[in-house]
Amino acid sequence: MEVSLAVPPDAVFIVLTVITLLAAILALQAKELIYGAIALGVSFIGIAGFFILLDAPYLAMLQIAIYVGAVVVLILFTIMLVRRDVGEEVVERGERGESAAGLWIAGLLAVAIAGVAALAGPNLASSPPPGVLSVSDLGPVLVTEYPVPLIILALLLSAALLGALMLAKVER
Amino acid sequence: MVNLPNTPADIVPFIISIITSHTFITLVIFPGMIHLMIVSAFLTWYERKLLARIQLRIGPLYAGGIGGILQPVADGVKLIFKEVIVPYKADRTLFTWIPLVLIFLGTLPFAVIPFGAHWVIANLDVGLVFVFATTSLFPSMIIIFAWASNSKYPFIGGLRSLFQQVAYEIPMWISALSVVILAGSVNLVDIVKAQSKIWFIVPAFLSFIVFFICIMAELERLPFDLPEAEPELVAGWYTEASGAIFMALFLALYLKLYMMSALTTVLFLGGWWGPGFLPQPVWTILKAMVVATAIIIPRGIYPRIRVDMLIRIGWTRLLLIALANVFITVLVVNSGLLTAWGL
Repeated sequence: MEVSLAVPPDAVFIVLTVITLLAAILALQAKELIYGAIALGVSFIGIAGFFILLDAPYLAMLQIAIYVGAVVVLILFTIMLVRRDVGEEVVERGERGESAAGLWIAGLLAVAIAGVAALAGPNLASSPPPGVLSVSDLGPVLVTEYPVPLIILALLLSAALLGALMLAKVER
Repeated sequence: MVNLPNTPADIVPFIISIITSHTFITLVIFPGMIHLMIVSAFLTWYERKLLARIQLRIGPLYAGGIGGILQPVADGVKLIFKEVIVPYKADRTLFTWIPLVLIFLGTLPFAVIPFGAHWVIANLDVGLVFVFATTSLFPSMIIIFAWASNSKYPFIGGLRSLFQQVAYEIPMWISALSVVILAGSVNLVDIVKAQSKIWFIVPAFLSFIVFFICIMAELERLPFDLPEAEPELVAGWYTEASGAIFMALFLALYLKLYMMSALTTVLFLGGWWGPGFLPQPVWTILKAMVVATAIIIPRGIYPRIRVDMLIRIGWTRLLLIALANVFITVLVVNSGLLTAWGL
């Protein structure tokens, strides 16, 4: 009986997604800042796993080297310079209304992305374009062949930007 | 693809087929687990003996007969049976798990380091980047462990380790860049194959010097052992480690020493190439031992430098020298000198 020991890629994708998302949530919710930094590193490694699934191992390695090896180090620096005793809580939980609003916005965004993807449906390009792309070809290809992923990316980026603004906002 | 056993009689051939498979041998025996454990244990004995000779002492003598060669075994048994003391108010989870993560990170790069043309676990196309990606995680694990100890000296040592990474990492990557340009690949097997005529230490000598200094800093060896400076910081970032945790950290450090020596061999010293009377892996291990000796000896000779000096050296001298050698390499590759040398 011939058995393939290879795991189906869908299962790998689901496991990676769960790990990445859980780590990202933990990175925001951890009571101890250093656990947040570690969870952020795990989440970055999960994203590197996605790159490996997409046959881009070089990008995956650079993701680990730069994001986990440098960005997390920067965050650790910041945490270490704010010295305090182990076990003290510093992260204040947001009020109930704030987290509810956050959930609402996240849900709306998910619905918007799902809607765009569903409307685009068959137009979603799944195979890479033939031939070698030069940098100058990249722009036209992004707009003509992959408009839907581009729009979804734009939505995600604006959500991230809004979140960063909210976090950095100084209460007066 | 594996043939699963259908009948009880098939079980023995099945087990034999697994044990004799290329994956199992490379993963578990050589260059995998067993080989790594033996060599890193040997390195601990070798370092103690070598430093003792430098300082006109005798070093380990009794365990095992010949020069105390079984001293690592004795140390291991002793450390396993010692009590693990977790400091008061330390973060217990991180304190006990980070040493295992460090061993994992120290073992991982060996998956892509070739010991012979076929003695490599995974012939990865991005081998060199993989090694750098995994080793760049070490200092952050160290600072997390130091933080989890909840103690003054480990914390200072851990912070120094982070500063050190800022100083050495970029020169190290750029000095490896000239090798990549010469070989035209980041696949470590291809890099060794490209050195069949001439070792890269000749065309990239400045890079070799920079790379060697950077791995001394990476391995926390004198004159760059700031994170564990014994006279100032007790034992630096692992002051609070004891028993089995200390053994795990020690093992990870020596795995890293062996890994960096093997990487230097692969990048600059021709990897497995050597006269044919010895098999390829023996040449790789011998050259790695020579590099390890060169890394250990300064510990008996040189004084320690300060962390600001290290950062200044890293960003003003090492980076410039490494960039200069990248420039020279590009000139050499373009001028066609390499074809004259038969590359």
